Amino acid sequence: MKRSLAQVRKELTQILRDRLALALALALPVAIVALLGTTISLTVSDIPIVIQDLDQTPLSRQYADAFRSSITFRVISQPLAESPETALTSGRARGALIIPEHFARDVLRGRNAEAQLLVDATDTNTALITKGNAAQVTSAFASGLGARTTGLSAPEVIRGGVGSVRVNTRLWFNPGREPRKFYGPGMFVLGLSIFPPLLATLAMSREGEQQTILQVYVSGITAHEFLLGKIIAGVVIGIAEWILCLGVVFTLFGLGIAGDPTPFIVATLAYLFCGVAFGTLVGVAIPSQAAAMQAVQLGGFLLAFLLSGLIFPVENIPAGLRWISNVVQARYYIVVVRDVFLQGAGWAAMWWQIPPIAAIGLVFYALAWKTTRRMQVNA
Amino acid sequence: MENDAAHAGERMTPRFWSLALKELRQIRRDKRLVLSLIVPPVVQLLVFGLALDPEVKDLRVGIVDESRTAESRELVSALTENRTLRLKAAYPTPAELERAIADGRLDLGVVVPHEFARQLGRGQTADVQVLINGVNANTAQLAQGHVQAAALWLNTRPGVAAPIELRTALLYNPGLEHTWFTVTGVLGALIVLNGSLVAATAMIKEKERGTVEQLLMTPASAVEVVTAKIAPLFVLLMGMTGLALVVAHLVFHMPIRGSFTVLVTACACCVLTGIGIGTFVATLARSATQAQLMLFFVNPPLMALSGGFTPIEAMPKWIQPFTYLNPIAHFAGLARAVMVRGSGMDVVYVQLCALGVIATVLVGFSAWKFRGQMS
Repeated sequence: MKRSLAQVRKELTQILRDRLALALALALPVAIVALLGTTISLTVSDIPIVIQDLDQTPLSRQYADAFRSSITFRVISQPLAESPETALTSGRARGALIIPEHFARDVLRGRNAEAQLLVDATDTNTALITKGNAAQVTSAFASGLGARTTGLSAPEVIRGGVGSVRVNTRLWFNPGREPRKFYGPGMFVLGLSIFPPLLATLAMSREGEQQTILQVYVSGITAHEFLLGKIIAGVVIGIAEWILCLGVVFTLFGLGIAGDPTPFIVATLAYLFCGVAFGTLVGVAIPSQAAAMQAVQLGGFLLAFLLSGLIFPVENIPAGLRWISNVVQARYYIVVVRDVFLQGAGWAAMWWQIPPIAAIGLVFYALAWKTTRRMQVNA
Repeated sequence: MENDAAHAGERMTPRFWSLALKELRQIRRDKRLVLSLIVPPVVQLLVFGLALDPEVKDLRVGIVDESRTAESRELVSALTENRTLRLKAAYPTPAELERAIADGRLDLGVVVPHEFARQLGRGQTADVQVLINGVNANTAQLAQGHVQAAALWLNTRPGVAAPIELRTALLYNPGLEHTWFTVTGVLGALIVLNGSLVAATAMIKEKERGTVEQLLMTPASAVEVVTAKIAPLFVLLMGMTGLALVVAHLVFHMPIRGSFTVLVTACACCVLTGIGIGTFVATLARSATQAQLMLFFVNPPLMALSGGFTPIEAMPKWIQPFTYLNPIAHFAGLARAVMVRGSGMDVVYVQLCALGVIATVLVGFSAWKFRGQMS
């Protein structure tokens, strides 16, 4: 153990003396969590649309105004002579509402008046939001209309006097539907998935690249002591990064601890161990810093970013790839992180997320140990 | 100086070719570099294209049906009719339903009150309570829209016309293939980021091996050396871009509805931008490792502000102007217009000009920096 601690001290001193590595270890995670957490979001507001009003009656203008006053849409002006498709092809608008001639007449006669909405579906998610919100605006306008023209309450008009269903929706945990509260924790996990493994890899493959690993082999230190020293040093740096990134989450994303923080702390330690063990394994296996770094980037970043549900639901990944997400430790950790920041369900709901993280970490550790020992015998 | 340049111009061709050939051979012998021209683009395109899908489906719904009538069952079946919502379980009390949502076992809870059917029969408005786990803002928004639509559908009886009907047509991508959005974004990111990485590794090699002096000893001028370094890289990276386009077309059936020439020109600008970034980093770093570490400070912001994966419109307002500086954002906009919407030059000339300017500035500046390093 004493030898492990000496190893820890050596690692930390080495990092503190390397300015680029230090910036990479402490400044970059914070910057990236802040930047990605702020920019990544799917919740679009202010969608630019054009309205072509062929009817030009007070009623059709009221209908257009309903779109103008919605926060989802921003109506941009469009010359009457130009076809609405041009606004879509040129990318100026994401949608075009066409109010046909005789719109007001049809509505007032109780006939079915049809308006048309053209949506640019290049971005499918925005297209669905546009479609859904336009339907909501229309139904709200239609019900207001009923009250105005007949004196009956809106749903009664629609259902012709038979009772109607009204849905009262309540959004829990994130009532303002603030995207940062969802993506913020995701990017927090991403930061912790990239940097601790990266630094561990750099520290380990440097020994291989500069041949200092031979000194380790001839010294009395055992493979366990050596690896533990490296990993403890990596976890210590990881904890520093964790605290800094937590600062970002609390201040910039406006999140707090929702419930019992102990599952979060335990899971974080397991997660850092897992990530650092992965980085160390790669560093042992590839004794070239540049190559090892690419491997960690591919493993740490791609897997954590894409296959763990940080942004998009895991369920949407094709089944052939989805099984991989079961062995991606970030997938379990993100559940604990979202819970502690938003839901606060605590140990009862979270305990079973932690064993997989620890198990994956132990597998990485065992592989790293095997590789080190094998080389030690060879040397 | 002028004389020197004219002099160089005369004998540029043979000397330039031999230098370019030397670079090509060096790159070809570097297995890792060749691999990084092929593997990351293909893997990234495939994984990003397949895994990044925001579609909302199979949300888990829990129900507390206190009414237990035909009407309440009709409501439930209207909600779970398409694949957005999937009925997971029924709960005896609202309290248990709420606990299931809090534990994350459900995404959505519906409480149908005791007097639901009675109120409907009397022609009154019957309230249904829907609880949505709002943690994922996007899912919550789409789920809310879906629930409202189901209620509206229930309220429109056959025979009674709705006063206004909104017919929606989804243009350009009626099948709602989300990969068309992601792949166009990833393509730009891939060209610029991978280009910068490959360029930095190739450009720093002379420095790492200490062969800069040998280059200085050759009769070639600094301009020739820099051009001969950039030209083969450009050709190889264009090859990589072509490979990526083929993968996008074969695997994701990405259409190219507009002008192919415009698209290729934009790709070329992106490649040059990547080379510019890589060369610049190579002038600052002392080793390939350092160059890679430095790219960590450049690439994530480029990705974050690109709109390649999530729409730029969804970013906070104050941050959106920064995307104008980002070549990936311009490329994504152009690729989506040209490939998916079939727009022509009259629409995308802005983005193309921006890409051209960014590429010229970056390559010019970094070549100048690189030259300064050699003399």
